[in-house]
Amino acid sequence: MARQAGGGNRERWRPPRGRHRLPPEVVARSQRERLLDAAVRVAAGKGYGAMTVTDLTRDAGISRTTFYELFEDKEACFLAAYDRAAEALVRRVAAAFEAGDAWPRRARAGLAALLEALTEDPAVARMALVDVGAAGPAAQRRQRAALQRLTPLFDEGRDYAPGGRNLPANTSRMAIGAVAGLIADALAEERAGDLPDLLSDVLFATLVPYIGPAAATREVGETSR
Amino acid sequence: MPSTARTGSGSPAPTRDLPAVIEEERLPAGLEQLPEPLVEHSQRERLLNAMARGCAKKGYGATTIADVCEAAGVSRATFYELFRDKEECFGAAMELSLADAMGRIVAVYSPDKPWATMVRDAAAAFLELLASRPTFARMALVEAPASGERAFELYASGKRVLQSLLERGRDDPVEETAIPSSAGRAALSAAESLIVGQILAGNTARLPELLPDVVYITTVPYLGQEEALRQSREAEKAIPRAGE
Repeated sequence: MARQAGGGNRERWRPPRGRHRLPPEVVARSQRERLLDAAVRVAAGKGYGAMTVTDLTRDAGISRTTFYELFEDKEACFLAAYDRAAEALVRRVAAAFEAGDAWPRRARAGLAALLEALTEDPAVARMALVDVGAAGPAAQRRQRAALQRLTPLFDEGRDYAPGGRNLPANTSRMAIGAVAGLIADALAEERAGDLPDLLSDVLFATLVPYIGPAAATREVGETSR
Repeated sequence: MPSTARTGSGSPAPTRDLPAVIEEERLPAGLEQLPEPLVEHSQRERLLNAMARGCAKKGYGATTIADVCEAAGVSRATFYELFRDKEECFGAAMELSLADAMGRIVAVYSPDKPWATMVRDAAAAFLELLASRPTFARMALVEAPASGERAFELYASGKRVLQSLLERGRDDPVEETAIPSSAGRAALSAAESLIVGQILAGNTARLPELLPDVVYITTVPYLGQEEALRQSREAEKAIPRAGE
């Protein structure tokens, strides 16, 4: 129960009660969004395993019938909530990576944006990196797909690194796995508040396969100042 | 057979030897004597086997006690005589298989081997084990992290053993750098993520081909790029080719 979604920014617009002329697809869309918010909140509060459809309909203030018009089951609702959250995270990281600077600086900006987004919304952070493991193989594949969307950003490290062409084929995948693992460890140990402090660790893990430990340590030291 | 002798390197902070690590992590003892895991010669083992297979097929969450009993040919009453619930049964299945897996890693360990050789041999043994036991691979790396406290504990302790093994690299780094204390854990997560991706994609049998990648990512923080790439190329030669 201690874990709750962040404050008022999760509030969604609801259609006015009573008779209104909103097109049905607009109403359905708002109901769907409310259920996705509910999935994030409930999964963060009691875990995916214990979450029921009743929890979702109660939290969202939506009837059971409507739930089943929109989703087949709780897994489908959770997966949709996952996709929405992952999309927002990936966009934010990619936007921060955009800045026209040398690759290690841009990597730092992207990772900082990721940690910032996860700190702002601990419920989303838990869902994206911890609960997703409990939600079965379909959810785990979704998570991998979302993480792999960051691959091009990491692949730029190859062009930046001298001799980057010689690096093993899966270098970027592994570097992303290291970042996700370090963050998931912190979340599993309930250290969500410490996420911003992870920046130097995740930056080192990102840089080291491309530029080696000496240069990575130097970059971490310089860019964190 | 692993020796318990310490290395004679004269390092002021000797690295714990692997048997000691396993002892401290409270993994089951007598690893080397274990027979093939999950041999079906008791109701308990049939249930453990059925649990592991059920999870490999449809995931821990979707596997029911009824599924497990049916697959094992054991009554529900017997199940509850042996286990309190599904979580305990899964934990026991994980424990049995993990003991065997760790035994194989211990077997390649020798304090006399150069560190990089040991990392390569341990990684090769681990990848080959996973490839030859897809049910265990799925249970230990896909299901266990999210299937109850006991299973998670075992998963985490197995990972800590591998981490201790890897962190011996900190004793004599080639490049003089102050790398973060999380470097070993990060490198293991990197390798794990690659392995799990292959398992989820249905490529478990081809895991040994990942050896050069795994060797590179686990050695680069300690040895530097040039030497890690050399080790990775060496590992490439050591991959068992299909049909051999």
